[in-house]
Amino acid sequence: MANNTQKYPYRAIQRHSLQTRVTHGIVAISCIWLMISGLFIFVPALAYAVGGEVTHFFRVSHRVVGAIFCLAPIISAITAPKGFKAFWAKYFTKWTKEDFEWMKKFVPYMLAPKRIHMPDQDEVKSGQRFADGMMILGGILMGVSGLVLWLGTSVFQASAGALLVMRFCHDIFFLIMVIFAAAHIYLGAGIFQPYRGTISLMWGNGQVKESDALYHWGFWAREEIEKGKNVVMLDDKKE
Amino acid sequence: MADFAILFDSSKCTACRGCQVACKTWNNLPSPIEKNAGEFTGSLQNPPDLNSQTRLIISFSEKKSETQRYKVDWAFGRRSCMHCYNPACVAVCPSDCLRVDDETGFVVFQSELCTGCQYCNSACPYDVPRYKGKDVTGANIIMDKCDACLSRLRNGRTPACVHTCQPEALKYGPRDEMVAYANKRVEELKAKGYDKARTYGIDELDGAHVIHVLKYGIDQYMLPEDPKVSPLVESMDFMKPLTAVGAAALVAGLGLSFLTGVGYKRDRMYYDEQKHDVMDADTDELIKHIDKEAGER
Repeated sequence: MANNTQKYPYRAIQRHSLQTRVTHGIVAISCIWLMISGLFIFVPALAYAVGGEVTHFFRVSHRVVGAIFCLAPIISAITAPKGFKAFWAKYFTKWTKEDFEWMKKFVPYMLAPKRIHMPDQDEVKSGQRFADGMMILGGILMGVSGLVLWLGTSVFQASAGALLVMRFCHDIFFLIMVIFAAAHIYLGAGIFQPYRGTISLMWGNGQVKESDALYHWGFWAREEIEKGKNVVMLDDKKE
Repeated sequence: MADFAILFDSSKCTACRGCQVACKTWNNLPSPIEKNAGEFTGSLQNPPDLNSQTRLIISFSEKKSETQRYKVDWAFGRRSCMHCYNPACVAVCPSDCLRVDDETGFVVFQSELCTGCQYCNSACPYDVPRYKGKDVTGANIIMDKCDACLSRLRNGRTPACVHTCQPEALKYGPRDEMVAYANKRVEELKAKGYDKARTYGIDELDGAHVIHVLKYGIDQYMLPEDPKVSPLVESMDFMKPLTAVGAAALVAGLGLSFLTGVGYKRDRMYYDEQKHDVMDADTDELIKHIDKEAGER
């Protein structure tokens, strides 16, 4: 087997900025903490198991971390309006035939990745746009309903009907967030074997190896390599 | 489950409010004692409504009457927890703080389990639960409401309000006995010319463990004529199992997916941006050529 590093040098593409990674990290850790602390309110048996003081700690932390969860992306968007605009444009874009094909093949691919081959994709896969979009929508609705449930029972008095609707909304989107967050972690952390290495995109230096970029986002990777601006040369040991 | 009830006969109530005092005394719920601490409302009803230190109030209502001797219908009502048969507060309580007592049927609570979520008030068709320790952190909010003096009941005594009621407007006993007594009293009142006399709490929302005998029209009491529980209250019943099933299905699906992906490997790819060739860096083979002239990307 040839391994010609002279002919085919190791390269990577800088995909995410430090600010994007930090914002993602804060939101991700907050989200996981909110799910765990929320479970101790949602499932009484857990509260019984850990006792009153721990449950009380989870209860207060749910509010503090909830505020961080809401504020981090807002502050990030305000401090980097161009980045936010670019982020928006990547997600709300017209779907190509490859995008539809990718969605169609997604479930079979997840169950037979060695046989099913996915089509090339732009910077954000159609599935990513759908799943991340659901998480963003879920995050916004969890944030809004959570704020009403919190402030509407302390700073002002929300009506009984509003509190019931917000509670229902909080429950529904908790389920949706659990599903999409679990799938997101499964793929994003590279637990799914074809996605190995993707964890460094958000939890490492924000770079994706050329080979992985070509595999996951073919259209985008080739375009980036042709432009060369974000291409990083790696030494052999890094590969 | 044993089935007990508190009966309130408004036609016997003298509005002495000994029940309010007894409730506060037994349950250690002090009233403000500073001068002019209570807001003047023009009514003898004091405090104006339930609050975090008041589980029970006697309501006052005056209405012009053409039929009565003194030309006024002066109604004394009892406002407190109705102890519903199917309590909405218990249905929505996420922490099991609120529960139905098996021995009596009353809706009781365990303060240390309260998370301060206040779902119970939003679900209660009678707007009963109140909260202590409200602040912006929400850290110390604790629900409070009538628990029928469970500690007294457990020791063979009647609720403090019942125990202290001198004219015997308040009674306590097996619910069927209280229901029979209430129906008898309504018949007697009607015979005396109180046409609007009725019971309350026997059938409303599948029944309650507090039964009222209302001497005058229901509009003179702080009781909803047709209490309703929001359909959203039932949502917690299916949201928990739905979330559990959803999470289990997800774990199973991802587990299966992981197994099918074990051992997956692919050769390193390289893109020659000059020739527009995607190459296999391990085998030196061309994977595909991007025909730019044909519009390929």
